[in-house]
Amino acid sequence: MGSVSLTNICKSFGGVEVLHDISVTVQDGEFVVLVGPSGCGKSTLLRCIAGLEEVGSGDIHIDDRRVNTIAPKRRDIAMVFQNYALYPHMTVAQNMGFSLRLARVGAEEMRAKVDEAAAILGLEDLLERYPRQLSGGQRQRVAMGRAIVRNPKVFLFDEPLSNLDAKLRVQMRSEIKQLHQRLKATIVYVTHDQIEAMTMADRIVVMRGGRVEQIGAPLELYDNPANVFVAGFIGSPAMNLFPALLADGQVVIEGAGTLPAAPDAPPGEQPVIVGMRPEDMTISDTGIPAEVVLVEPTGAETQLLARLGGQIVVLTMRDRIEATPGQRINITLPPAKIHLFDPETEASLRTPVATNRSREVDHA
Amino acid sequence: MSRGNHLLFWTMMSVIGAVIAIYVLFPIFWLMLAGFKSADELARLPVSFWPSEPTLQAYTDLFAPGTQSAQLLDWPRLISNSFIVAVSSTVIVVFFGAIAGYAFSRLSFPGRDLILGGLLVSRMFQGAALLLPTFRLMNALGLEDSLLGLIILYSAFGLPFATWIIASGLREIPVELEEAAMIDGASRLQSMVIVVLPLATPALITAAMWHFVGAWSEFAFASILIESSRNTTVTIGLASFVDYFTLEFNRVGAAATIIALPVLVVFFFGQRYFTRGLLQGAVKG
Repeated sequence: MGSVSLTNICKSFGGVEVLHDISVTVQDGEFVVLVGPSGCGKSTLLRCIAGLEEVGSGDIHIDDRRVNTIAPKRRDIAMVFQNYALYPHMTVAQNMGFSLRLARVGAEEMRAKVDEAAAILGLEDLLERYPRQLSGGQRQRVAMGRAIVRNPKVFLFDEPLSNLDAKLRVQMRSEIKQLHQRLKATIVYVTHDQIEAMTMADRIVVMRGGRVEQIGAPLELYDNPANVFVAGFIGSPAMNLFPALLADGQVVIEGAGTLPAAPDAPPGEQPVIVGMRPEDMTISDTGIPAEVVLVEPTGAETQLLARLGGQIVVLTMRDRIEATPGQRINITLPPAKIHLFDPETEASLRTPVATNRSREVDHA
Repeated sequence: MSRGNHLLFWTMMSVIGAVIAIYVLFPIFWLMLAGFKSADELARLPVSFWPSEPTLQAYTDLFAPGTQSAQLLDWPRLISNSFIVAVSSTVIVVFFGAIAGYAFSRLSFPGRDLILGGLLVSRMFQGAALLLPTFRLMNALGLEDSLLGLIILYSAFGLPFATWIIASGLREIPVELEEAAMIDGASRLQSMVIVVLPLATPALITAAMWHFVGAWSEFAFASILIESSRNTTVTIGLASFVDYFTLEFNRVGAAATIIALPVLVVFFFGQRYFTRGLLQGAVKG
């Protein structure tokens, strides 16, 4: 397996800069997800790593080799495409063995490698079929099989699950993650779905408009978003974000009331954007008053829309609650859970706090 | 549309289609039947539709040595001439059309779409307008009265549209397939030959069929360029046959039927590709 390092990558398409000075390092065996809204440059960046696009400036290293000018086939990478890109006129076995055939590997060795990959992915019974005879999930597996057979230094995934239905997507998500754990593969994975990013990644690279907004482990990004964009992008339902005033250690929400800010909030008085995660807020006897707008029970939890001053906020409750629209409630949340951002720069005004990792599970 | 209207619509379309088909096919059918009648029967009144005594005499007359028609025209030679011209120019057109079509569908260069549109525009010129200049050009090149001249000419005329058909077919093939092939270790040429062209078979076959039929049945240019009987093609042969045997039309019927056979065979085997190939560009905008 290998590492990937991107240093100061810039790229333009006809005068429009689509990648601005991007530097990311992917460690050997790491699962890194590039995530962001469409048009943020994540796929372009992946294609640059693959060699399907040339970079304008900057360096791409795979292991210690600079690969900028090296053809895709010599970069020792494998790529899984969004539409799978299976060769329609070849059987599953031929699809998976295609790279070996081009490399003039002997028939016996090819057969063995294809069988090995097929066994990993549960494709043994489908080897003689054609792609059109497979379901979406099976095609996805064949595309991964084609990558595995090559035993590359780096696996590149370009939105591999977005053509699947919701249920299959969840299933394939865990299959890919298990595959990563089993192969100890280095993976760079592109998606626009932040849940995919959160659930699969060792580290997430959040991108917007061709720039890297933040890089970190999923829960680091969740707990300490560096700016308003990351705060709103990571997490579902999204963090409640709205303008407020920070004054003498208090967050003043116009028309609603005040909440105590965290001790590390900047002193003095300034306008801020306040951020509150839906699940951090609780209903209590004290706190700022709000009015229930809508109650949405989902079974495991209940979502509550409430009017807080001029804002509609979302609360997520683990407990089942009895609430009716129009009912008056009080909302509170721990000061440490209140995120504050500069309205001008949109950057976080707080020093990041250590993320609470879950307790190690005993692998007995 | 309601179910009843739908049925009515398709019934009407079918009736109209059938009328057009009969209108177009009847003369051809009539001519084919004539080939199975005797010369006497054709001259007899009242005119009979079906041959009263079906005979292959007209066919044997065409090929049998010593008969009047065989002396006038060497049919096996005409047929082989036409085959040489049609097959060679089809091979040339499909080969270069595939290369050019690939470039038009995959590479980006200034004026690409304009030129591709221009290829279609070239179809709008009537060939007749080009007869004289072509004649003078081929004379100047010393290619008059030669099969090679016809091959070059037909290839030149056929290449633009064939390129256009193949380019639209190739555009339907996802670029990712080639990218996957290139990551898998293929060169551009390998990915074109192993992955792209096999998938473009409908477009290639469509272009080949279209060109073969056009070249096989071309008359105007062949008639002004070919002088010697050695180089005559079937269409010229048939035309002169009509002049010779106005009174023995059964021979004309037999000759026309034989000339139509390759076209029928080509469409019989290729029609499922042909419709698919023509639709390929049309379905997605």
